[in-house]
Amino acid sequence: MNSDALSLPRAAARRHFGLTGKTVLITGASQGLGAAVARSCAEAGAQLILSGRNIDRLKSTLETLRIGENHRILPADVTDMAALRQLAADCGPIDGVVHSAGVRGLSPMKMVSDSFLREVMEINYIAPMMLTRQLLARQGIRPGGSIVFMSSIAALTGTVGLGPYAGSKAALLGSMRPMALEIAKRGIRANALCAGIVQTPLTTIDKDWFEAIRKTYPLDVGQPEDVAAACLFFLSDASAKITGTAFSMDGGVEYT
Amino acid sequence: MTALLDLLPVDRRPATTDDFCLEGRTVLVTGASSGIGAAVARLCAELGARIVLNGRDAARLSSVHAELAGDGHVIVAGDLSLEETRESLLNAVPTYDGLASCAGIAALVPLRMANAAHFQKMLDVNFLAPITLTQRLLYKKKLRQGASLVYVTALAAHVSPQAAAAYAASKAALEAASRTLGLEQARSRIRANCVAPGYVQTPMLESLGNSADMSEKFNLTPLGRLAPEDVAGSVCWLLSSASRWITRSTLKMDGGLSIAMRV
Repeated sequence: MNSDALSLPRAAARRHFGLTGKTVLITGASQGLGAAVARSCAEAGAQLILSGRNIDRLKSTLETLRIGENHRILPADVTDMAALRQLAADCGPIDGVVHSAGVRGLSPMKMVSDSFLREVMEINYIAPMMLTRQLLARQGIRPGGSIVFMSSIAALTGTVGLGPYAGSKAALLGSMRPMALEIAKRGIRANALCAGIVQTPLTTIDKDWFEAIRKTYPLDVGQPEDVAAACLFFLSDASAKITGTAFSMDGGVEYT
Repeated sequence: MTALLDLLPVDRRPATTDDFCLEGRTVLVTGASSGIGAAVARLCAELGARIVLNGRDAARLSSVHAELAGDGHVIVAGDLSLEETRESLLNAVPTYDGLASCAGIAALVPLRMANAAHFQKMLDVNFLAPITLTQRLLYKKKLRQGASLVYVTALAAHVSPQAAAAYAASKAALEAASRTLGLEQARSRIRANCVAPGYVQTPMLESLGNSADMSEKFNLTPLGRLAPEDVAGSVCWLLSSASRWITRSTLKMDGGLSIAMRV
């Protein structure tokens, strides 16, 4: 996309909300949400590093990117601390990271096993925090950089059966705030998106449940592109003065 | 590859920076003569919107108007807390696609010294003016399907600092009302959101105290001094279709000031 060919307003939108010249790391980039974020970041001019467990699926995501040539794939299992350290080293300096890797973590609290609770916490909380820590420790995030955590509306409201998931997503908010203060002097910011239900293969497995729940959303359930658009805002310089926030995007839902 | 196509059909259009454009939209900006309102008007126009500028000072509105990108912008000078000003805004253009409510006042008065007139004044300008304007826009069907309403509130609504009872209450009232509004208007896909800034360097803030006091406030902000232009980016995102799923939300825009606060 040649900026000369853009109308003045479109060029202005790209200047204010675009990611030209920025390198962005996206975890969970082979999944619906992470893949949508990857496509939007590429369209906005970023150079991407796609991470995830499955190299074949990451390659497929790479193939859907229509813009940019220097995108890279760095597969890693986020629960392996040595792999996280290596990922942070291999990235080189970046300007943004979107932590979209995660698992569902459903279980009634009176039934939950400690191993399941640990597994959910490890993937949804410890992995994004430790990857960020490894990046920060090696000055791997440039001044002006932006860290985006995928928390959830589940961190803010109570829903039967979501205990392990909700706990892991609330933990992200808890640690994001001290982190945001610690990195502010380097001009780096950290924010979390608290999305409601987004239509992905994961949420539509149970069709009847999904169709019932979507009726409770005033503006319908979200699409991966809606979350991707918010990521563009939080990664761009337009949000340069926003840090430590847990921002709700949920179609205006009243109850969960 | 088949599995991935199931996950994300490649014919789906990804979100792009084009979604942040405001081309073809008419946006009403109140408080447009200075500070945050003027910055919002400038950025909205740059992003392609046609602007209706409202404020009390006709001369300052003209100078903001003169520097806007694009054309067709309209000035409606007048005090928004007066019914006649609100009615002129209803008739200024056929319909609106957005409202950026930036007009507001602040005054520091300890509660012990605050009389009814002080409370009434804060509520009139910061709450009743934008909400009754919105009510008239809805009643007269002046908001198009998919319109976005963005109210600039204040971090004070959440943290309630010293000597700010009336100010904080008026902004909290606006946030509460906007959430009901978002629920009621979702059928028309009309969205309502708030941007709650911390200390932003504006004429309104400068009128509150001497510059030493103010630089102390700015020094408290982890990411440093906030300019009106910093707030404008957030407001324009929420006005654009890039935020089409977002309603009944408040975006804190405070450089990290509230992180250490119990809000």
